[in-house]
Amino acid sequence: MKTQDDLNKKANNALTVKDLEKTYPQWRKEPTKAVDGISFSVDKGEIVGFLGPNGAGKTTTIKCICGLVEPTRGKINIFGIDAIKDTRKAVSNTSAVLEGNRNIYWRLTTRENLEFFARLHGRSLKEAESEIKSLLERFDLKDKEDAPARKLSRGMQQKLALSCALIRGTDFLLLDEPTLGLDVKTSKEMRAFVKQLTSNGGKTILLSSHDMNVVEDVCERVIIMNEGKILANDSVNNLKDVFNVHLYDFVLEGEPKLSGLKEKYSVTDIQHNNGKTKLRVSLKEADSFYELINHLQKKNVKLEEVKNLDKNMEEIFMNVIEREGGVK
Amino acid sequence: MREHIIFYSVVKKYFIELKRYFLNTLMTMIGIFILFMLVFFGLRSFEAGTETLQGSIVGFAMWIFAVMAYSEMSWGLLQEARDGTLEQLYLTPSTFRRISAYRVFGSFIFQFLLFVVFLGIMMVSTGQYLSLNAGVILLIGLTLLSIYGLGYIMGGLSLVFKKVQAGNQILQFLFILLLVLPTITDHQVIYFVPLSWGNHMINRMMIDGLSLLDFTLVEYSILLVNSFAYLIIGLFIFTLMERTAKKRGLLGHY
Repeated sequence: MKTQDDLNKKANNALTVKDLEKTYPQWRKEPTKAVDGISFSVDKGEIVGFLGPNGAGKTTTIKCICGLVEPTRGKINIFGIDAIKDTRKAVSNTSAVLEGNRNIYWRLTTRENLEFFARLHGRSLKEAESEIKSLLERFDLKDKEDAPARKLSRGMQQKLALSCALIRGTDFLLLDEPTLGLDVKTSKEMRAFVKQLTSNGGKTILLSSHDMNVVEDVCERVIIMNEGKILANDSVNNLKDVFNVHLYDFVLEGEPKLSGLKEKYSVTDIQHNNGKTKLRVSLKEADSFYELINHLQKKNVKLEEVKNLDKNMEEIFMNVIEREGGVK
Repeated sequence: MREHIIFYSVVKKYFIELKRYFLNTLMTMIGIFILFMLVFFGLRSFEAGTETLQGSIVGFAMWIFAVMAYSEMSWGLLQEARDGTLEQLYLTPSTFRRISAYRVFGSFIFQFLLFVVFLGIMMVSTGQYLSLNAGVILLIGLTLLSIYGLGYIMGGLSLVFKKVQAGNQILQFLFILLLVLPTITDHQVIYFVPLSWGNHMINRMMIDGLSLLDFTLVEYSILLVNSFAYLIIGLFIFTLMERTAKKRGLLGHY
C-alpha cells in the first residue's frame, strides 16, 4: 500500500525513470548495451546534471526520455504521463537542445526560428510574442533578429537553440551539452541563464555536460554515469563530503628523500625543478596536515610554499569513476 | 490541440525557405525549360503528330511535377536529418507524419503554381494549346498521391539507410517510363504501376478535351485504388522504418 509520503513524492516528480535499458542492435555484430537498467527521478523545479565520459549513456538516456530512441526495457514517466506508451502527450510538455548548435534552421532568421518553434508547439504568435522579445533581449540577439542563423557566431547559434527550446513554453527541458564549443564568456552567460530558469521560471531541467564546472555551477544534484550505469546520484555538496579528501600542493627546498612521506601519505605529481621539489599530497582528514608538517620538520625539510586546493567536481568525478573500476 | 497553428508554421517555413532558394529554383526551371524545348523541337523535326507534341507537353509538365513532389518527401527529409533539425520536428504535440503531410501540402500549392506557369510558357513557346480546368487539377492531385506514397517509402528508407540518393535518381528516370507507358502499351500493367493511369486520364482531358463526366466509374476506381494503395503502403513502410530508426538510434544521424 502506498503511503502519503510516496504519493506526495510522486506528485512532486517531474520525471521518473525506472529500470531503463537500451541495447542497440548491430548488423552482424554483438548488440551494444548503452543504458543498463538505470533508475532515477527529477523533482519539479529541480536542475539535475548528467555527468559521464563519452559513451557513458547520457545522450541515449536523454533521447529515450524525449521519445527519439525506443528503450529496450523500463519505464519513463513525465509529469505523470507514460512517455513510452503516450510519447506524444509526454513530449507536449518537453523540449530539448540536443548536442551542439544543430537544432535550428540555418536558412531562417533568428526571429523566424523563434516564431517557427513557438508555433510548432501549438503556440500562437500572440501568445509567444512578449517571450520572443524578452528572449531576444536576454540573449543579446535583438540586433541579429533579422540575420539568418547561419551567419551568427557559434555562441549566438547556441543561445538561439536554447531560446527556440524555451519558446515552446514547456515545463521540462532537456539540455544535452548546452555549452559545448562556447567561449568562456558565453558559457558563463548560459550558465547564469539556465540557473535563472529554475529559480525564476519554475522549469525542471536535466542537463548533460562534459564540462564539470558547468555541472558544479548550475546543478543542485548530479548523476554520474559510466558504461550505461549510474555510479552516483547525490547533491553536489554531499558528493564533496563523501569524497572528502584534502588536497595540498607543497614546494620544498632541494630534493629531499620522500620515502617516509610516500609510505604514510598519498603523494602524487612529484616534480624536481631549479633545486626545488613540487608535490601534491592528498589527506583523508584535515588534522593530518599538522602531522605532515611535523614530519617534514623532523626530517629537516624546508618548506617554501603550501597551497590548499579546493575540491572540485572533476576530482569527485574521478574518485567516483576510480572507485567503480575506472573508465575503460 | 492547436493543430492549425502547427500546420501554419510548417507551411510558412516551407515558403520562407523557398524564398531563400529563389535563384536556385529559377535556374533549375530555366534548365528544365531548355531541355523541354530540345525534346519538343526534336520531336517536331521527326514530323511527330499534333497529339504526340501535345502529349510531350503534358508528359513533361507532369514529370517535373512528379519529380518535385517525390523529391519533397525523400530529399526534404534527408535535408532535415543533415541539418540536425529532424529530431526537433519529433518534439511536437502533433506527429511527424502530420508535419510532413503539411509540408507536402505547402509544396503541392507551390508546385501546382509552377506547373501552371510552366505549362503556359510551354504552350506559348510551342503554339500548342491545351485545356486546363478544375477537373484536371483534381486528377493531378489524385495521381500525385501515388508519388507521395513512393516519397514516403524512400523517405523512410533514408531514415535508416541514409545514402539513398542513387535510388532517387533511378526513380526519376523510372517516372518518364511510367508516364509514357500508356502510349506504348495497352497492357493491364498500367493499372497497377504508379503515375501511368492517372497521367493517361489527364492526357485525355487536356488533349482530347474530355470532362470528368466522360470517365467511367471503373476508370475512377482504378485511379483511386491505385493512388491510395501506394500512399497507404508508403505510410506503412515509413512508420516501419521510423520505428527501426528509433530502435537503432538513427533519427539524428546522417
